Amino acid sequence: MRILLVEDERSLAKEIHDFLQSEQHVVDAVSTKKAASENLAFNSYDFVLVDLGLPDGDGLDLLQEMGRYQQDASVIILTARTEVDDKILGLESGADDYLSKPFSLLELKARMQAILRRKSGWKKDVIQLAGFEIYLNEPLISFEGQDIKLTKKEYILLQFMLINKNRVLNRFQLAEHLWGDHLDDDYQSNYIDVHVKNIRKKLGNYGPVDWLETVRGLGYKIIA
Amino acid sequence: MKLFHKLLVFNLLGKGIFLLVFLMLSPYLLSQLIIDNTDEELLEKKEEVFKLIQKAGIENFISNENPEQGFGSYNILKEEYILLQAVPADFKVGQVISSEKRIIEEEEISYRVVADVIELDGVRYLLEIGRSLNTIDKIQGMFFQIAIGILFLFLAFSFLLDSAISKRIMAPFNKIIQTKISRINEPQEFHDKSIRSTTKEFELLDNAISEMMKRIQKSFNQERIFISHASHELKTPISILQSKLEAIFRDENLNSYQSEKLMDMQDTLQKMKKSVNALLLISKVNNAQFLKTETVDVKLVVEEIVEDWIEIAEEKDIVVKIGKIDPFIFSETNASLCQMMIQNALSNAVKYVQDGGVIILVGTKKEDAYELILENDGEGIDEDLINQVTNGLVFLKDVTKEKSGFGLQIMYKVALFLGVSLEIGSLKGKTRVCFRFPVEPQLV
Repeated sequence: MRILLVEDERSLAKEIHDFLQSEQHVVDAVSTKKAASENLAFNSYDFVLVDLGLPDGDGLDLLQEMGRYQQDASVIILTARTEVDDKILGLESGADDYLSKPFSLLELKARMQAILRRKSGWKKDVIQLAGFEIYLNEPLISFEGQDIKLTKKEYILLQFMLINKNRVLNRFQLAEHLWGDHLDDDYQSNYIDVHVKNIRKKLGNYGPVDWLETVRGLGYKIIA
Repeated sequence: MKLFHKLLVFNLLGKGIFLLVFLMLSPYLLSQLIIDNTDEELLEKKEEVFKLIQKAGIENFISNENPEQGFGSYNILKEEYILLQAVPADFKVGQVISSEKRIIEEEEISYRVVADVIELDGVRYLLEIGRSLNTIDKIQGMFFQIAIGILFLFLAFSFLLDSAISKRIMAPFNKIIQTKISRINEPQEFHDKSIRSTTKEFELLDNAISEMMKRIQKSFNQERIFISHASHELKTPISILQSKLEAIFRDENLNSYQSEKLMDMQDTLQKMKKSVNALLLISKVNNAQFLKTETVDVKLVVEEIVEDWIEIAEEKDIVVKIGKIDPFIFSETNASLCQMMIQNALSNAVKYVQDGGVIILVGTKKEDAYELILENDGEGIDEDLINQVTNGLVFLKDVTKEKSGFGLQIMYKVALFLGVSLEIGSLKGKTRVCFRFPVEPQLV
């Protein structure tokens, strides 16, 4: 996919740029509203990741320009601003999602994939894994035609790990994806371990789940 | 009680007390008035009789042949009588007015009597004119009834008049209260528009409230801008650090030592991130930066949260019991904050209840509120910590539990913002968290 990244914090922009590139995307990174406008006018993008607080203007203005040039591009607002009005205004202006800083790059990837799935309207977005069929558009998992019951949280966790398959996800990232930022948790608890244990137990009744690995001292990884 | 009603009640009470005192005194006053009036009339009659005697001569009343036989006359109903009789020369009583009893035709009747002595041709005569006290009592009774009637009419009329006048006078005051205080849940909702009034005090009150609200509004806006800037300045570096850490994590050649150190760094970063997020959230809630336009099905939220946490609880052999949860829709609220508030209560309970403990959730719809109660056994929350939270302290640290205390603080602040009354009771071996959701829309 071709992605326009509009972020004035160069250090952060570089990390996002490198991450997206490692995910096989083509990324144009700019740091000003003016440069972003030029890129939007001349290039065609699948995704625009835009920071709201730009040195020469408000990132929200870019969303209006996009209405003229980039009607098919999906937009995720990246911001450290906290005001609800900004969030509402951003979503009303056509943004597809809103990611508050600081965010995990894996969370960004998951959000992008969710938007893609939503926009493409794939009815059968299914991942096959060692006999298990995991549906990405609905909370459903089955093994050889038999539906398996997982709780909502377990399903969200499994889905997040699948989107980031072959990558170690630590407990912080998983906990944050499940509960957001404001759960009164010290991240030392074993909540994630309990959920993973239950996923293994429930799926293990149907088939081997050795594809869900524990990486000692780090976290978990799905090998696929 | 509303001021308007209070004024009416006090007015009515004041007049009622006055009326009561008047009614209590009126028999005496009326009696005195009527007796004074009667005395005056009797005295006038006495003078008339004297003139008549002087003009017509005493012999027309008392014959010379039988001077010891006096003159007496009374009307048919014995309401009045006149008595004239000769008295000895040494009879020295002057004019006397008194209430006396007289026997007329074997009937004892009380009279108001004026008596005086006149001297004609060297002979003294006693003249007595009396009026029946029964007549006086009847007049008094009649006057009393009329007075009561008039007073009650006055009371009713003055109540209606007071009510109308008070309503009219208080109208600007009520408008000030409604538009500038009651309906203003957050400073942002305030719009400065003068309330028209001819009462100087209300004008002053209106101006004072407007000025005060504008100052609060300004202070809120400054705080909002500060939070926004602080948020940007704090979150951007954390974001950079996090993305850099994640970039290093992607390096597959890391050895276990490097991985361990990186995890430590990430742990610290997460704590910092969590603290910044918690502080900003508390500031945003204090600054009313969340909309309250959603409705929440509390029963559904409780069921969902319990579903999320029940397996974690079961891992610690904790039993989570859902008692009777009455259905309740909490309107004009913020769904994610409401969910966060209830979730924090449950996650806190799961975290601190000892293995094998019990957590019970009950939701009861009452007349004026919906009560969601979470009870659990365990060591309970320290009273000092609860006091700190209710006193609005932010920087908390429960050293014994190695936690920040933000969770409790967030729960309390969110509850306050959503208009939910939160009671946390902690007795030995038991903690009780009670959320009281307002049943009616939050109009004060």
